Amino acid sequence: MRLLIVEDDVAIRGFLERALSEAGYQVDTAKDAKTGELQALEGIHDAFIIDLGLPDMDGLNLIAKCRAQGSTAPVLILSARRSVDERVKGLEQGGDDYLTKPFALAELLARLRNLLRRSSPAQNDRVRLEAADLRLDLVRHEARRGDLLLQLTPQEFSLLEYLCRNAGRVVTRTMILDHVWRMRIDPATNVVDVHIYRLRSKVDPVGRPPLIHTIRGVGYMLKNA
Amino acid sequence: MPKLLRTTAAWRLSVWTTLAFALGTGLAFVIVYLLVAQTIRERSDAWLSGEAEVLAQVSANTPKDRLYGRIVREVAELATRELPDERNSQGQRVNSVFFLAEHLEGSQSPLWVGPGTEDAFLKAIQGARLGQGTPQSITVEGWPSSFRVVARPVDGRGTVVYLGLSNRADMQVLHNLTLRFLLLWGGTVLMGFLIAYLSARRTLLRVEHMTETVARIGSDDLGKRLRESASRDEISRLAQTFNLMLDRIQSSVIQLRSVTDTVAHDLKSPVTSIRGTLESALSSEPRGNWRDSVGEAIENLDRLLNLLNTTLDLAEAEAGALRLDRTPINLAGVVRQFVDLYQPAMHEQHHELAADLEDHVVVNADLALLSRMVSNLLENELAHLPPGSCVHIRLRSQQGSAQLVIEDNGPGFPPEIAGRAFERFVKGKNSPGHGLGLAFVDAVVKAHGGSVHISDRPAGGAAITLSLPAAVPQPA
Repeated sequence: MRLLIVEDDVAIRGFLERALSEAGYQVDTAKDAKTGELQALEGIHDAFIIDLGLPDMDGLNLIAKCRAQGSTAPVLILSARRSVDERVKGLEQGGDDYLTKPFALAELLARLRNLLRRSSPAQNDRVRLEAADLRLDLVRHEARRGDLLLQLTPQEFSLLEYLCRNAGRVVTRTMILDHVWRMRIDPATNVVDVHIYRLRSKVDPVGRPPLIHTIRGVGYMLKNA
Repeated sequence: MPKLLRTTAAWRLSVWTTLAFALGTGLAFVIVYLLVAQTIRERSDAWLSGEAEVLAQVSANTPKDRLYGRIVREVAELATRELPDERNSQGQRVNSVFFLAEHLEGSQSPLWVGPGTEDAFLKAIQGARLGQGTPQSITVEGWPSSFRVVARPVDGRGTVVYLGLSNRADMQVLHNLTLRFLLLWGGTVLMGFLIAYLSARRTLLRVEHMTETVARIGSDDLGKRLRESASRDEISRLAQTFNLMLDRIQSSVIQLRSVTDTVAHDLKSPVTSIRGTLESALSSEPRGNWRDSVGEAIENLDRLLNLLNTTLDLAEAEAGALRLDRTPINLAGVVRQFVDLYQPAMHEQHHELAADLEDHVVVNADLALLSRMVSNLLENELAHLPPGSCVHIRLRSQQGSAQLVIEDNGPGFPPEIAGRAFERFVKGKNSPGHGLGLAFVDAVVKAHGGSVHISDRPAGGAAITLSLPAAVPQPA
């Protein structure tokens, strides 16, 4: 997978390049809209990450230009502007997703994966999820740890499903709220954590290797210890 | 302040008003003058016609004998004496009337009663071709003012009597009138100008004073106020309005300063702790637990970010710049979701969270803002209640509005912030928050056209009541 990052801030460009390379992507970078446009028109990228506040052109114009030239690769917009209006405008102009700075790397990776999956025709409509000895039956809404049937509330099941779908990857509290509860809020208290503790007490009984891990400062990850 | 008189508004104002006044009165005088002149002329014309008639009859009826001339002359003399202004103050005749009878029977020379000789008059009369019966003005050589002359035929044999009256007296009257008017007019105009100038100057000096005061108001010195006079005229209203504006500016500047101070203060502690954490992570042993330190630093950064975002949102909301993306929202559904989300966290604190929600209460609101508002309210309860409290959420539709009440049996609002709980950065002494949550709630509710207030419950604890205008139900 090859990405193009158009971002004028050296620090953010460098950090994105490093982080995305580590995550296994091939990364090209451009520091302004002009070079970005030239590179984008080569047509070799699977996704673009475009900052809105570019020195020579508004990022939205760049997206519109790329779209006008027939580029169909998904675009993830980065912006410091956080108003709803900007978000809507960005998505209307041809952006596929919108992330405000500062952002959690985990969230950027998740959104990117989401975009790349959306753009590839093979959708994964799985009815079964597995991670280590945890198995989720999405049709019957049943979760089992080994042979043990877990007694989960519907909410806990959704939470576990989300963690399971992202097994091996960090999910932030914001992502959990967004995907499991469909809420875009930023609670200052530990509402999400309490849900995770409760789920953990059912999924990780004493004596079994824990699956749900807390990544301090970022969020949670479901993985085989 | 040295300033050309001509450039002042008072000067210009008074010049223009005086000019208008002078023109108006001048015009009025011209009209009066014409009317007076006409009246005077009509009066003398009537006199002339009447006397000429009398004289003509006398000369027609008097037998044409030796005495004829004398009798007619006597009558003419009598007629001229009737005039009030015929004699001057010394009793001398001023020769303003003449009588002339031409082509008298049995006499070659015309009969003449009047000043000097008849020659110049005869010449003027002959030159003027007088119509019969109507008085007419003619100029006589050697006389400064014109004469008003009427011709009257005496009989069919060509005898004509002429009676003439000098316009001198009339002219005198009109001349006096004009002179007096000009004197009075000049005085009045001058006086009017002075009064206009002084009053305009007096008024405009107040404006000038305001200008000077306002010019002295700097950003450091917003406490100055304009003097407000007791009268309710335009200028004092201007001063009052100006003072009100200054009040508002001052209060927002003060608020802005306190916000900046508070933000700076609130930013400093997390930044310090982040810096410290990272520093200790760096200086710890390579195998030390730096993961925890970095995680803690990120958590602190997130809190910092949260503070920044909320401050920005709040600033936007209070500036009225919130763009609402309104959709019909079933309030009970949204609140129930939040109750589900917060229930475990409440339980962990041994709180009891109960909801009593009336269904089908629909509001036209921005879902994202509404969600953050409800979450702020619940966060507020979580942050302030002592363990083991009860929180009760009630939703009712009431007279076209949706009422959401959140009650608890905690300690209630600290007295020091009662009444100001919705101002930003106002928080209780022991509050762990930044004092932004309720301010945001307030801003969002107001943006939706609703209201919010806090109260203490009689049984102890606090109640926050939100009232949002209910959506008009759409016809199915």
